[in-house]
Amino acid sequence: MADPVQFMSHFTTVEYRVPDPSPLNVYFAEQLAKGRIVGHKCPQCGKVYMPPRGYCPLCVVETTAKDEVEVADRGTVTTFSVITPLQYQGQEETDDYVQATILLDGSDTTIMVAHLDGVAIADVHSGLRVKAVWAPESERSGATGSLARQMGLGSAVTSWEATGEPDTPRDHLAEHIV
Amino acid sequence: MAATWKLEFPYRRSVGPVIGAFLTALRDRRVVGVRAPDGRVLVPPFEYDPETGEALTEIVDVASDGVVERAAWVTEPLRTHPLDRPFAWALVKLDGADTSLLHAFDCGSPERAQSGARVRIRWAPETEGHIKDIACFEPAEG
Repeated sequence: MADPVQFMSHFTTVEYRVPDPSPLNVYFAEQLAKGRIVGHKCPQCGKVYMPPRGYCPLCVVETTAKDEVEVADRGTVTTFSVITPLQYQGQEETDDYVQATILLDGSDTTIMVAHLDGVAIADVHSGLRVKAVWAPESERSGATGSLARQMGLGSAVTSWEATGEPDTPRDHLAEHIV
Repeated sequence: MAATWKLEFPYRRSVGPVIGAFLTALRDRRVVGVRAPDGRVLVPPFEYDPETGEALTEIVDVASDGVVERAAWVTEPLRTHPLDRPFAWALVKLDGADTSLLHAFDCGSPERAQSGARVRIRWAPETEGHIKDIACFEPAEG
């Protein structure tokens, strides 16, 4: 007689359908590969959306190629987290690191989950001025689709480093934290 | 067009002595329950009496056929359902049991998914000690 049953296996499964990247996402990625960060400026309220969405959600108006503006590859840390990686299976990080939200000059939206590898953890603070460290041109595959909205710049920018400029005043960041 | 992302969490659960006995019996194509202090036979079995919280240990054999207490018709089965055609979810009280077991009832049409219908277990071709060892219930004559 076989041993009594002591364990039961089962899967919990979540299945997502992820839409293909929109033409605008693809265009944004192509421009990133060329070293350009582009956004759309709302013709009504003037807010700059980066990546471009093709519309302004506040004014509910469409934005198109004629509303395109280039955004700087430098900006300001608005908020950040220090991550202490647990060593679970598949974890590749071993040391503490910083993930920051960055408001690029000329944009009203932020880049999230930016790795601040080029700055000592103790020096990271809200208001810190940083600039992008670009990947070599051949390695810049911009994120597309939902990833572009969440992560911003894909593999085009590998890290961020401090510029040494004076901090951005807090009231300038007030409406741009995340 | 859309890409599919699948996120899966594999679990391995310890089933304990009572559910373990139930699953071990299923592997042998038998069904067991547990006797409560008031004499009722609970199928599927509980480790503790739902009324008093008392630990339950007396494993009791019950039949592999019984009667539908309630049924709900599924018009379009989901990918994760036990059957790939329309079926009924049924609460089945097996002969010898005082409580009912929820499982799929492969009866072809909602008209046959009636309270009082006689059913029997259709066993899976291979059993392994899992609730899926019961493939489903099917109509039984008489």
